[in-house]
Amino acid sequence: MHFLPAMMNVDRNEVPENHYVVVHPLYDLPEEKVDASKLGRIKMTRSVKLSLLALRAYLAVMTLLVVYHVIDLAGVLGRSSH
Amino acid sequence: MPEKVVAISTAGIPAKSPVVRGRVVRRKWAYHLLTFLMVFGPGLIVMEADNDAGAVSTYVQAGAQYGTRLLWLLLLLLPVTYFMQEMVVRLGIATGEGHAAMIYKRFGKWWGLFSLIDLELVNFLTLVTEFAAIALALSHLGISPNLGVPVAAAGLIVVVLTGSYLRWERTVVFLCLLDLAWLFIALRVRPSFSEIAHNTLLPGIPQGGVTASLVFLVVAIVGTTIAPWQLFFQQSCIADKRLRFADLKWARLDTLAGAVFTIVVAACMMIAGNAAKMHGVHFDDPAQMANALHLITGEGIRLGILLLMINAAVLGTTAISLSSAWAYGEVKGWPHSLQMPVRKAPGFYATYIAGVGLAAAIVLIPRAPLQLIILGVQVLAGIMLPAAIIFLQLLLNDQELLGEHYANKRWNNRVNWTIIIVLFILSLILAAQVVAPNLFPAS
Repeated sequence: MHFLPAMMNVDRNEVPENHYVVVHPLYDLPEEKVDASKLGRIKMTRSVKLSLLALRAYLAVMTLLVVYHVIDLAGVLGRSSH
Repeated sequence: MPEKVVAISTAGIPAKSPVVRGRVVRRKWAYHLLTFLMVFGPGLIVMEADNDAGAVSTYVQAGAQYGTRLLWLLLLLLPVTYFMQEMVVRLGIATGEGHAAMIYKRFGKWWGLFSLIDLELVNFLTLVTEFAAIALALSHLGISPNLGVPVAAAGLIVVVLTGSYLRWERTVVFLCLLDLAWLFIALRVRPSFSEIAHNTLLPGIPQGGVTASLVFLVVAIVGTTIAPWQLFFQQSCIADKRLRFADLKWARLDTLAGAVFTIVVAACMMIAGNAAKMHGVHFDDPAQMANALHLITGEGIRLGILLLMINAAVLGTTAISLSSAWAYGEVKGWPHSLQMPVRKAPGFYATYIAGVGLAAAIVLIPRAPLQLIILGVQVLAGIMLPAAIIFLQLLLNDQELLGEHYANKRWNNRVNWTIIIVLFILSLILAAQVVAPNLFPAS
């Protein structure tokens, strides 16, 4: 933000006692994060399997509803609800 | 006393003395305040950008139809939207990667592509509605959309091409804060504060009972307040801003502040719609409402509402376009950062520019099927939101990925599964209503 105090080069190991160093995330040294690439796929526990099954069922129902509505609107069923 | 810090290079070898660009302060409160201000941004932007053109339309319509009787719903949605985005914050900080990348890596190619394609489609259609709102507001301001829409698109492209995340963030935060003008508009229309307090704190069904119109509006409000693109946007934004583990509490505060800000602004939009109801004003869109209220509240309010419509659409466009560009870059493995110049991340910027440019162009086509597009957005978003939240919930319970510290606690899961089940039910009700319109009595 433009009203923040000006930044300067700071050596963290030479900061006086009882002082604090404020560093913007973009200027800070990179942190070691969790590397998902090395883990591979998520473990298929019972809750994960059930959740994905519920999701597939939900998507199937919604897709059928949308298809039905489009067919209905097109008059293919011989009647229209609109 | 700060601990000695030793920088570790990617090879695991201690690097040179850790010199960083920073500021030394003596007071702890100054340290906390400055750190918060540096972390602040993604939370406010993701929340306030959700008050886009569609949201303005939904909230003023809710106010016009039901007055202030649905304000309690906004208060109920405040913790819901915070819980959802707080999970995104934890996931983003812990992994340093975007949501699309996480789904792709942990759930495989099929689910990864499903999430990506659904996001890109919903986002693109939403962009068209944003530019449609810009065109509408501009025409009421006496500016030709054929001139104004390309200028708006060009501005939205320029703001991300600077190669500086901070420059983009500061611009967008400024635009978010402009929405405080809705507070002024709400006060200007002289609402009844006791009525507002009563309807905010005490849930109730408006006069007329549960009708198809009410159900549709409630689902629209919920769908407007919690949008799929927000999950992808904030996580990618946090990854691009490189927030650190130590920033978690400030990122949560940023998200909470954003949630409160957004709900207050949304309430003000509803109060503005209520003013139209109180004066017997009928309208089809917020621009018409602005023109009609002009006779009651003056030219200033009319101009204010029209300009805020444009602001809402601009905010929505930049956030949604970026969520698409980031997600696509993550899955394709392209460089994807606002910190990079165009020549170093051409695919990322091309995706952004293509989305904005194409959406703007469609709006300028005479007799473009905008109503069909708006309906398509509602249907696709209704399909996508539960799916996006299920993946978020599963990832936040992924102890192998996050460890015990960052994974959900038991109470998190109880709250979140309740929210997910309610969202599933609302989506199914919306779908059922579209297919069987006589499910609920007509209003």
